[in-house]
Amino acid sequence: MRHLSFIFNFEMTMKKFLKHTILFALFFLIFYIGMVFVWGVVMPPRFRPNLTYPLGAHGFMHTRIQEVKNTKNVDILFLGSSHAYRGFDTRIFEEKGLSSFNLGSSAQSPIESQILLKRYLSKINPKLVVWEVFPATIEGDGVESALDLIANDKIDYLSFGMAWELKNISLYNNLLFGFFREILGMDRDFEEPKSDGTNTYISGGYVERSLEYWHVKSMPAKRLTINPKQLEALEKAIELIKSQGRDIVLVQAPTTATQYGSILNNTMFDSLMSRQGYYKNYNQILALNDSLHFYDSHHLNQAGVEIFDTKFIEDLKTNNWLK
Amino acid sequence: MLFNSLDFAIFLPIVFVLYWFVTDKRLHWQNLLIVVVSYVFYGWWDWRFLSLLFFSSSVDYWVGLVLEREQSPRKRKLYLWASLGTNLALLMFFKYYNFFVDNFVTAFTFFGINISARSLNIILPVGLSFYTFQSMSYGIDVYRRKLKPTKDFVTFLAFVSFFPQLVAGPIERATHLLPQFYIKRNFDYDKAVDGLRQALWGFFKKMVIADNCAVHADMIFNHSSEYTGSTLLLGAFFFAFQIYGDFSGYSDIAIGISRLFGFDLMKNFNFPYFSRDIAEFWRRWHISLSTWFRDYLYYPLGGSRGGVLKTIRNTLIVFLVSGFWHGANWTFVVWGLLNALYFMPLVLSHRNRIHIHGISPGRNLPTFREFLSIVCTFVLVVFAWIFFRAQDLSHALDFVGEIFSSSFFTIPQFEGQYQAVTTLILIVLFVCVEWLGRNEEYAIGKLGLTRGKPYRWAFYGFILFMIGMFMQSNETPFIYFQF
Repeated sequence: MRHLSFIFNFEMTMKKFLKHTILFALFFLIFYIGMVFVWGVVMPPRFRPNLTYPLGAHGFMHTRIQEVKNTKNVDILFLGSSHAYRGFDTRIFEEKGLSSFNLGSSAQSPIESQILLKRYLSKINPKLVVWEVFPATIEGDGVESALDLIANDKIDYLSFGMAWELKNISLYNNLLFGFFREILGMDRDFEEPKSDGTNTYISGGYVERSLEYWHVKSMPAKRLTINPKQLEALEKAIELIKSQGRDIVLVQAPTTATQYGSILNNTMFDSLMSRQGYYKNYNQILALNDSLHFYDSHHLNQAGVEIFDTKFIEDLKTNNWLK
Repeated sequence: MLFNSLDFAIFLPIVFVLYWFVTDKRLHWQNLLIVVVSYVFYGWWDWRFLSLLFFSSSVDYWVGLVLEREQSPRKRKLYLWASLGTNLALLMFFKYYNFFVDNFVTAFTFFGINISARSLNIILPVGLSFYTFQSMSYGIDVYRRKLKPTKDFVTFLAFVSFFPQLVAGPIERATHLLPQFYIKRNFDYDKAVDGLRQALWGFFKKMVIADNCAVHADMIFNHSSEYTGSTLLLGAFFFAFQIYGDFSGYSDIAIGISRLFGFDLMKNFNFPYFSRDIAEFWRRWHISLSTWFRDYLYYPLGGSRGGVLKTIRNTLIVFLVSGFWHGANWTFVVWGLLNALYFMPLVLSHRNRIHIHGISPGRNLPTFREFLSIVCTFVLVVFAWIFFRAQDLSHALDFVGEIFSSSFFTIPQFEGQYQAVTTLILIVLFVCVEWLGRNEEYAIGKLGLTRGKPYRWAFYGFILFMIGMFMQSNETPFIYFQF
């Protein structure tokens, strides 16, 4: 009898426990979603570190996305990190008779590039894709750029897939928040200023920075560690580009000799990229001055951009990349 | 496996279902399941060190059985030393070998003798200090005939490796935990819910308070030469809350999860930062370790009986060993010594037990005198934490030197101070909740329990939401794993 009463008691209490756990889980799901929205609207940024929602925050991604929606049939599409949108000046290419669009964004890693390609590659219809591969973006988790994309581009199943893959609480919060903002049309009237005083958005996706020079500082030595997820995304994205019959060139834009020299295993990165397709490392091709041609340790200033782009266009023609 | 990881979020429900629905028919199977899942939990970090855990447990199990049979006091002592020696040897090798080698070389070099000795690249097994101490307490208690040894090897393995408290305590006594493995555990709804509540509060402490404080404490301690005295003091303050949130958070999660499986673990923290003197602080901080040293070191040495000199000696020994237990670095020894110096006047004047009751019982706020005592004790504790956190002694001395310089009278400035203000606000809220629940088992133990379910669920939901809003994106290990 005692045994039976124990079983009965166990079943009752466990049933109650499981029922309440499931109910609480459902309650919490709704509560959390609601709180994310209310908190995001009401609280100042200081109190929402995992809900930054960088709408128009940096890199002019919002303006670039608005522009890409009306762009089609260009010769070249540029992809990659800030080295892309601060390195390939579409005006210089235009002068040489090449139409182009720069779809680079801050810290853009292959995971986000892949999403941008899925969304816009067919529409833009470029003859050639030039992908700037900055090693740090293939090392990193890609969260910064993913947030940029969530806040400044549409939210669709690709956004959810990206958040799932990156497994980051900040992404989940921003995705939920962005989803509600999109449904309620809260960002519909958002206008991003075309200049913040130092940086100016140029039609075609390039961002021009007022001329500054880097004060050279030593940098600690480090080794690159490739993030396998990023490498996989890079390979898949290249496959996607090729499957549409388009050509692709991987480029490492020049950084300062100080920055480049601080990385101990550049050759590993070069050989890895060479295996992906046609690859050029301009750190080994151009001899730029760390101060005169850069505004910080790894971004070209306008003087550096002109040298880089001129050389790149020359290579483009010599190698017949643009068939 | 970390409690604050996705792996654990998957692991726990699976273990829960297996425990209550699959192996619940027989106690032996349930204990065996605990052993298996505990070894999986530990092996997730590095499976190679499972052999150490198994070896240490096997030796103590065998010694327990032999001690029971053996009647000769001399032989019994010998067996006890075999057990203690094995555990201490493991600790000595994995934790202290390099420390001793380096210090011997330095000492000999100081006297002009060059000796050649090599440091080894030794990985410190997670939780080694915790499970060896738990295992040793078993041997000692059996030797003292306070406990009958278990004849069931599986039960003993389960006692040593019980996953919620395996890597960072509470360091359980065999007399308390082992008997719980002998009896059939019944699922108790209230106990399980209370356990979840305590674990929730533990997660909040770790992921919101400790991890956010860690960002600022690390920034300030790692670049201390660049900052003013006031900034350094703020860094020490952040570290005080980091270590409290981290370690007491772990204990709350461990205790809470154990309750989910029908076990009661001992209380490890009792609102230590509300202590009114250092003696009270040590009755409230890492209780399982303090009482371990009290029962197995301080009392056997004679405690406070035997005159002033012996009391001083014993107090010093206990605090120095306790400091050294935390890590193979002189900073921990000095931290222990400082606490001994704080403690000594109280024990010598027999004032070490004047605060044994609750804090401000029946009142909302402390009296002015109480408040002053709490603040003074906290300042002393924070000062000692500087030595605990510093990389080495010279770092600690430079740090303290800067605090006691004129730069103390400046406004703190450091990278990330904008976020630091938010962290300070979170700390204030946290301290308020802790104060409200100071006389309970844990801060939110009774908070809002008389209210209706919607209110309570909203409260728990809000705590979870705060975790989601303020947690760090990457998984952060617990500080005490390194001990």
